[in-house]
Amino acid sequence: MAKQIYDVIVIGTGAGGGMAIKTLCEAGLKVCALNAGRRLDPEKDFRYHRMPWDMKFRGLDDPKRLSQSFGYMDNEYTKAAWDHEIPFTVAPGTKWMWPRCNAVGGKTNFWGRSSARFGEIDFRAASLDGYDVDWPLPYEEISPFYTRVEKMIGVASTVQNRPSNPDGSYLPPFNFRCLDFILEAGCKKVGVPYLPDRCAQLTQPHEGHPACHFCGECTTGCDVGAFFSTPYFLLPKAEATKNLELLTNALAKNVLVDENGHATGVAYIDRKTRQEVEVYGRAVVVAASCLESARIMLNSKSRQWPNGIANSSGQLGRNLCDHLYGESARGYLPQLVGQPSFPDHVADSTIAWMPRWQNLKDPHEEKFIRGYSIYPDGGCSEFPWFANELDGFGSSFKREIKRRYPAPVSFGIQAPSLRSDTNFVDLDPEVKDPYGMPVARMHFEWDENVLKMWEHSKQVCAEVLRAAGGVLEGSGEAPEIPGWSLHETGTCRMGNDPKNFVTNRFGQTHDVPNLYVCDASVFLSCTDKTTTISILAFSLRTSEHLIENFRRGEHRAA
Amino acid sequence: MAGQGIQRREVLRILGTAAAAAHFPGFSKWTFACGHIGNAALQIKPAEYRPQFFTAAEFPMVERLTEIIIPSDGTPGAKEAGVAEFIDFMVANDPDVKYGLRTGLAWLNAHAEQTDGKPFVELTPEQQTSLLEPLGFKDKARPGAEAGRHFFRMMRKYTVAGFYTSEIGYKELDNPALKFYAESPKCPHPGDPEHADLSSAHS
Repeated sequence: MAKQIYDVIVIGTGAGGGMAIKTLCEAGLKVCALNAGRRLDPEKDFRYHRMPWDMKFRGLDDPKRLSQSFGYMDNEYTKAAWDHEIPFTVAPGTKWMWPRCNAVGGKTNFWGRSSARFGEIDFRAASLDGYDVDWPLPYEEISPFYTRVEKMIGVASTVQNRPSNPDGSYLPPFNFRCLDFILEAGCKKVGVPYLPDRCAQLTQPHEGHPACHFCGECTTGCDVGAFFSTPYFLLPKAEATKNLELLTNALAKNVLVDENGHATGVAYIDRKTRQEVEVYGRAVVVAASCLESARIMLNSKSRQWPNGIANSSGQLGRNLCDHLYGESARGYLPQLVGQPSFPDHVADSTIAWMPRWQNLKDPHEEKFIRGYSIYPDGGCSEFPWFANELDGFGSSFKREIKRRYPAPVSFGIQAPSLRSDTNFVDLDPEVKDPYGMPVARMHFEWDENVLKMWEHSKQVCAEVLRAAGGVLEGSGEAPEIPGWSLHETGTCRMGNDPKNFVTNRFGQTHDVPNLYVCDASVFLSCTDKTTTISILAFSLRTSEHLIENFRRGEHRAA
Repeated sequence: MAGQGIQRREVLRILGTAAAAAHFPGFSKWTFACGHIGNAALQIKPAEYRPQFFTAAEFPMVERLTEIIIPSDGTPGAKEAGVAEFIDFMVANDPDVKYGLRTGLAWLNAHAEQTDGKPFVELTPEQQTSLLEPLGFKDKARPGAEAGRHFFRMMRKYTVAGFYTSEIGYKELDNPALKFYAESPKCPHPGDPEHADLSSAHS
């Protein structure tokens, strides 16, 4: 029986995988996509329109599950989508959290929707401050892809004329709330920016998708599709071409190679039958998310690739970077105490942010290099978390909770770690997952530079809060555990030099021309900005490069 | 956001680590719906709640405590919202806190007997409140009662968690999540960006 050979096997259906799938299918290529988990059914799996009193544990979740940290998005509303079966290990001294959404669409089902472009200051950071190396492409080369992605998905923001945070093609922004105007005034006094975030949420209908109805539950899944996710925005277009075969509950195990070391397909575990299955393709795209892609490629050992496929540089799994997250300051705004409730919670995320303002003109102005951004938030949230900090009980307590309800405010830092030889992922030499595969083992510590950013942010945010007339109540004792941000980068970095980089500037691995990578693992650093829109832009570019290679006969279409 | 993350984890830590009950009783005041919005709700409403964890002597204490912490005083309080039932259900699923709460209730009863000669639920409301004030108010704290204060903090956290995730609690706050909105809500105070001139609606 002749075995079927697809044009491309795509591992992963998140931002990177989803964009690859759609682009390749629309170009006429036959694609087999593997997804580690199942499809979600918005009717059953998205509980966001259920009120907490309809949830078994009031949305606060089963106490037993809480003993394992799954991160801020994995909660009683969304737990069906997050992987709880496959463990990982950490090197001594490393703390790491690794929430993985294995449902079709991955984290795009629940993401925070902050969508700023990387800029030249990020791509040329090494030239500016001497640390590490520059990215292998200038901003102008990726800018048109950002524009095409923004038009595809819809991003709400304003033109801000900050080269460190380049402008794109935007829908009308979210309106500022009371707390935004108050904090903006405080920021102005301190001399730091307070601006609308680039929020990938539809403030008006867009490309056939409905506008948001501002229920504030985005990170528990949107069943109207008012923000970008692979299942709503990309898969329908791919499926319309009839070129897609999507296999669910297919856990990728390793990339298959021939006697020349070229990729021939992927071996995966069918999670239902627990059997190993092989699918074959003329090219393979790995888009399983940063750490998982590295794990799969490291696990793809062969005579030709004893250290993992396409790893002649030895950089596979290395150069892991993460965003340091932490509560730089929290308190409340007396101006808002006693005011009527207001829908501050809409967008379930950030309406405004304080984008990087450090080291913009002089790369060594601060005691640290590069820079960070801050996400402020507050106001009336779904649950009055601040209540436990108040004193007393009884009517005065109840009344004070109501009075203070509109007033809380907090500042969250998003700061990039620097690449380091101490930070990487490898395969645990002993521990195996339930399917017999070696698990990923994380090695990570925050570097001095990012910790200086953390200290700096606490001072600045306290200043801003006081300048805004607010009361400072505290800050986080420590940053969040590494891995919390869900913005890891770097395990498969792109660069022109095959001796030091895994892929070329198009995300094509140097060693194996028909193996491509379409997620954040190719990024050299995580910058002060989130990763999803950049993953989409780079994946679009990589996919079109792959298509071009097919057209040139390099991978020979079916 | 990061701020909510830290305080939320504190609440979640209190709500502990235990196995989920395979079956759970209906709640007389707390409606349980199993379907998505728009589907018929499965309502289990027995006439009276039967505690899974607290004994017949303990449960009225818990009820009374929740009522004192968030009273009915013009707007409904924790008793109407069935918070004691919620606490019983959560604690029944959490072996880590059972011991602490049970001994805390026993401590409170012993303290009531010693001070006013009767178990806690038999005291007058004034006696009950004055027993709890040193536990709940920082400026009334007495040395040596740290165990009592710790127990009271736990009860208060559970009560807050149960009340403000109930429909009654949502309405008490006029929680914006009760509504959807046609457009991105906008600050209603143009011309006063620093909001320095707002008059307090509730003083």
